[in-house]
Amino acid sequence: MFSESFSVLFHDFRYAPLIIQIALIFIVIAVVATLLAYLSILVARFRGYRNDKRLSKLQPLIDQLLIEHILMNESLNDPNLLPEQVQLPIEVFDQPVFQKKWARQAMIDRLINFRKNVRGAMGDQIRNLYVQLELDKETLKKMKSGKWEKKVQALYEFTSMDMSIADVTILPLTNSRNRELRAAARHAYIKLSKNEPFKFFDVATEPLLEWDQVELFKIISTTEHIAIPNFAQWITYSSNKSIVSFCLKLIVHYNQLSAVPAVVKLLNTKDHYLRADAINCLGKLKTETVEEKLVYMYDSQPLLCQLEILKALGRISSGKYIDFLRQEFLHATDFEVRKHAAKSIINNQWAAKGLVQELVDTATSENKLILKHSMNPLIKY
Amino acid sequence: MTIWETIGKIYENTIFVYGSILLVTYALLAIFSFIATRAYARKAQFHEEDVLMSSPLAPGITVLAPAFNEGLTIIFNVRSLLTLNYSNYEIIIVNDGSTDDSLEQLINEFELVPVDFAYNAKIQTKPVRKIYKSINPAYAKLMVIDKVNGKSKADAVNAGINAAAHPHFVCTDVDCILDKNTITELIKPVMQEKSKRVIATGATLRIANSCDFDAGLMVRMRPPKQLLPRFQEVEYIRAFVLGKMGWSLLNCVPNVSGGLGLFDKEIAIRCGGYDHSSFGEDMELMTRMCRYSHDNKIDYAIRYIPKTLCWTEAPSTVKVFQRQRTRWARGLAQLMYAHFGMFLNPRYGRMGMIVFPYNFFFELLAPIVEITGIAYYIIMAILGLINWPTALWLLLFVYTYSVMITTIAILWDQLTFRYYKTWKEALYLCATPFMEFFLYHPLIVVFSIKGYLNFLTGKKTGWGNMQRRGFQTTVKVATQK
Repeated sequence: MFSESFSVLFHDFRYAPLIIQIALIFIVIAVVATLLAYLSILVARFRGYRNDKRLSKLQPLIDQLLIEHILMNESLNDPNLLPEQVQLPIEVFDQPVFQKKWARQAMIDRLINFRKNVRGAMGDQIRNLYVQLELDKETLKKMKSGKWEKKVQALYEFTSMDMSIADVTILPLTNSRNRELRAAARHAYIKLSKNEPFKFFDVATEPLLEWDQVELFKIISTTEHIAIPNFAQWITYSSNKSIVSFCLKLIVHYNQLSAVPAVVKLLNTKDHYLRADAINCLGKLKTETVEEKLVYMYDSQPLLCQLEILKALGRISSGKYIDFLRQEFLHATDFEVRKHAAKSIINNQWAAKGLVQELVDTATSENKLILKHSMNPLIKY
Repeated sequence: MTIWETIGKIYENTIFVYGSILLVTYALLAIFSFIATRAYARKAQFHEEDVLMSSPLAPGITVLAPAFNEGLTIIFNVRSLLTLNYSNYEIIIVNDGSTDDSLEQLINEFELVPVDFAYNAKIQTKPVRKIYKSINPAYAKLMVIDKVNGKSKADAVNAGINAAAHPHFVCTDVDCILDKNTITELIKPVMQEKSKRVIATGATLRIANSCDFDAGLMVRMRPPKQLLPRFQEVEYIRAFVLGKMGWSLLNCVPNVSGGLGLFDKEIAIRCGGYDHSSFGEDMELMTRMCRYSHDNKIDYAIRYIPKTLCWTEAPSTVKVFQRQRTRWARGLAQLMYAHFGMFLNPRYGRMGMIVFPYNFFFELLAPIVEITGIAYYIIMAILGLINWPTALWLLLFVYTYSVMITTIAILWDQLTFRYYKTWKEALYLCATPFMEFFLYHPLIVVFSIKGYLNFLTGKKTGWGNMQRRGFQTTVKVATQK
């Protein structure tokens, strides 16, 4: 019966016009693809649900074992032993569930989570547990994988557990063409390299993207016991503009006044974005000695740098260039220039108390509005 | 062969080629969107969401939201904007001459006072009456511009752009609810770009109608219960996850939605801001920004992300829906007319050679092709010239193909984000494309034709403010349950 129907269908199909044959093939493809899509949705949702469910069961167990046998275990606090010498009760983790790969991964994730939240001896014991349970070997396997995702995950795990990685392994990755891998390697290098955490700045050929800079900045500024170098060396010698730009931001963050001469030299660079960054840096460092040079170069600068110079004069607030600011405020044609000049006049008003009132009284209505804008504490920008 | 038979033959062959190209394009978009969506998901797992939360290096962003008679939801929505996870941002609400009590509500709720703000009208707009800031430090990020009604969203947003302090602005509608990480997600492609200048970033929008919201946050996502909004949900998934993600891989994104998008302020201003006379101001601005970038040799990119960052209330009645789609269609016709010089113009690169021809043939002409096709079909049927088995097989082919494409879009979305709490809700949505072909698509065609006619006749129509039901209602209902 079935074979008869099939042969009739096949006969009809065989002698149908070509366009109908094509349409029929595509109808079958579309129906099968739609059904497969439904199946995939169901399978994906089921897998997700199953993962969530088993993790929701396993995580409390991991937490309980960790808290009971590691974190709250008084017997582990032997002041005569180094943390890595303490033998942990790892037999409590010798449960069938932890033989499974997903459960071991869940354990790694949980340990990382705990380590982020506890410091000192407890943090060391968590790292110790990671090693004694041989979870570091799992991470190492990922590190050797050919997939960049696995490598990134491994770098993250090693970094979170403060496990050292050889420079020869990690340095080449800091210049990887894959952005994620490159970023992870750089983060790991900064965190794990005890002597020269910023060595990759010397070899970086790939640009440090804005996003990378934010991530690196967070790592640098939150990592304990990191040896902060004088960033002036890269300002002077690096040919990677993004590294120079990032170093300028770090110089401001660490208030490295010793780097000022290198930053001043950067004012002669042909790249006006970099020059603007240098002016911004000098302003934030309140480098009074550079004011004269900034004012001298002002007229020959593009708008971006001019605005930075005006802001810098406001930040430095020496009061010496208030006449220059006044001139710019009264005579510049660009709205933004007048606005920043006004803001800097307000910052420098201690040096010429009557000036602001005089300007308010005599300025054009638009300039008066700019001044009032600049004086209003409710308006930030 | 008579002349009519010859014309008929030419028409049939043209439609065959047209349809085949369209089907191949959809298939390619499905593949490209899969690649782009998976790439996004793989990379996103390694990025910390909160990295910009407290960073002094976070670039400044201005969030712009125009409001016209949004009194029902305005407080709720502004509170939602104030909860965004980002360190360096300001919110500008532009009250576009509302005739309800929107402004009074804002003044009272957020302790606003008028300030002497140095407003620089780089883009011409209707006059700004007053600018308000809050005396409460908790709302220091908020600024409200009260201006004379400009009879368009474009005019209101342009006023906001003029007052924006930061180099990028996020444009949204005040009735939209944003994901708390919206700003980070939108600025990320800009900050991760190596060599191109990202002039705009968009993200997926979804329908808010049946979702639950609490204190301005989306807490439970559901497919809309009503059929019309549910059709729109499916359409949005197809348009954003499949269409725009696919185009994004080729750097050929035709449009960043007016509901949510991040834009480069300098380029937006240089090309004159939003066009207040346009009915599709978002697409029009995007086209002009691309055109400006090409003309000025700026190596630009437009990026899209598949993650849903914005929920908007969709029209739930045919009347309101008609108004919206008629306006969109008219905007498309206006855009094609105004920028026809870009059509197949190699000077405009992919924009001129891919995006514009695609929009012209498969967006603008599609409803016309469909209407003429139906008319042709009817005439042939009356004349008894239709081979019914062949016609029905071909119809079935088009039907199954359209269902497949939409289901694939839902699949990509589900594989990447597993939205909706239960599998029943996901399957409920999957069932919608089966009806879309018969119930929803004809509406779109008719309303598009109406929009084109309005464009051709120059019929006067307004901004088309949508009658909102408000999200608070949703929350209350959810709470009562």
